[in-house]
Amino acid sequence: MANLLWLQGGACSGNTMSFLNAEEPSACDLVTDFGINILWQPSLGMELGDGVQQILKDCISGATKLDIFVFEGSVVNAPNGTGEWNRFAGRPMKDWVRELSAAADIVVALGDCATWGGIPATAPNPTDSQGLQFLKRDNGGFLGTDFKAKSGLPVINIPGCPAHPDWVTQILVAVATGRAGDLALDEFQRPKTFFQSFTQTGCTRNMHFAYKVSATEFGQRKGCLFYDLGCRGPMTHSPCNRILWNRVSSKTRAGMPCLGCTEPEFPFFDLAPGTVFKTQTVMGVPKDLPEGVNKKGYVKLTGAAKAAMPEWAEEDIFVV
Amino acid sequence: MSKKDDDILRDKIGKMLADGLVTQTEPFPEDNHQFELILKELRQLDPQDLEQKLVISGFIDKPYGEDKQRCLECMYYLVHRKWCDLPELAVPVEAEWWCRLWRI
Repeated sequence: MANLLWLQGGACSGNTMSFLNAEEPSACDLVTDFGINILWQPSLGMELGDGVQQILKDCISGATKLDIFVFEGSVVNAPNGTGEWNRFAGRPMKDWVRELSAAADIVVALGDCATWGGIPATAPNPTDSQGLQFLKRDNGGFLGTDFKAKSGLPVINIPGCPAHPDWVTQILVAVATGRAGDLALDEFQRPKTFFQSFTQTGCTRNMHFAYKVSATEFGQRKGCLFYDLGCRGPMTHSPCNRILWNRVSSKTRAGMPCLGCTEPEFPFFDLAPGTVFKTQTVMGVPKDLPEGVNKKGYVKLTGAAKAAMPEWAEEDIFVV
Repeated sequence: MSKKDDDILRDKIGKMLADGLVTQTEPFPEDNHQFELILKELRQLDPQDLEQKLVISGFIDKPYGEDKQRCLECMYYLVHRKWCDLPELAVPVEAEWWCRLWRI
């Protein structure tokens, strides 16, 4: 039996909603089949007021063993470092977070806001938000660079806006069944099993990417969304086209550009007007090229790809 | 448009450029904001006003600049149809032409 506690800071509850949509395993399966005991969760917990406060205090004192602490949402420090803008159970949430993180065997930051600060931490960051162990790309965050949970692991980051239900449940199952030590994490403490490949990996538009055929309007089935519509699939680490959403689709499959929501910089360009759903260019060349590709190589590749383009690549081949 | 219509219109554009139609090749839009300003101008045109479309977008009938930029490498260019797929332009073109809405 692994005790799990889940709290929300500066959050929209999107990750909770995503988690509740989990299918294999479902949230219920975690309890019945994998021995996870949910001490409290904002949408599932029955206790209110003093009852919640007591659960949290027991976790901190050690009266209740806290195996897994899941935090969703940013850590709000405003105003003036007090955290008073996000109070919970009688005190600033950030005070609970610090003490619960110190008491937990495993700490999981769930969603962009908990991992890197996300949308709340977008400039000018009025809530003085941080992620648990990162603020955007900078290691440190609320708990600091040296933080390790009791298990010896740093915060396990599961980013996404929201995170896919399977990313959450599979990591929770691994942790609850004693396999946390098997999780290989990348430089941003994301489990590599999910965040080593790219959103583009498995994208149905890869042939259009290869032959440099651009989609020029949303919902078009032909063409790649990278060249004009701001898709960040070639630069974003996520399995969105390997582990499909609702088991059937993904943003790019539906004609919607990837927003890069599993990367620390999300939302990119601080949401400046004209930067969303529009590929940013400098003198006609994309500002952000596919990972590992330089400008010279990209220009050469484009010339060769265009010269080799087959006629079918210009057509909508998905006939209904 | 049929392929025949495309060919007729492409020949017409080619003749206009060959006859010395002066277009705005400069300034080249350095970033998205400048690019969007040109698109806005194009959207305000009468869709039938081919000449102004060519003038504003800076069409020329040869490669441009030190890098010899041309439609062939532009991401809006459809090779087999010889067509500019940028919705604001949507005209038949030749691979060796160029305009300042060139993007790669």
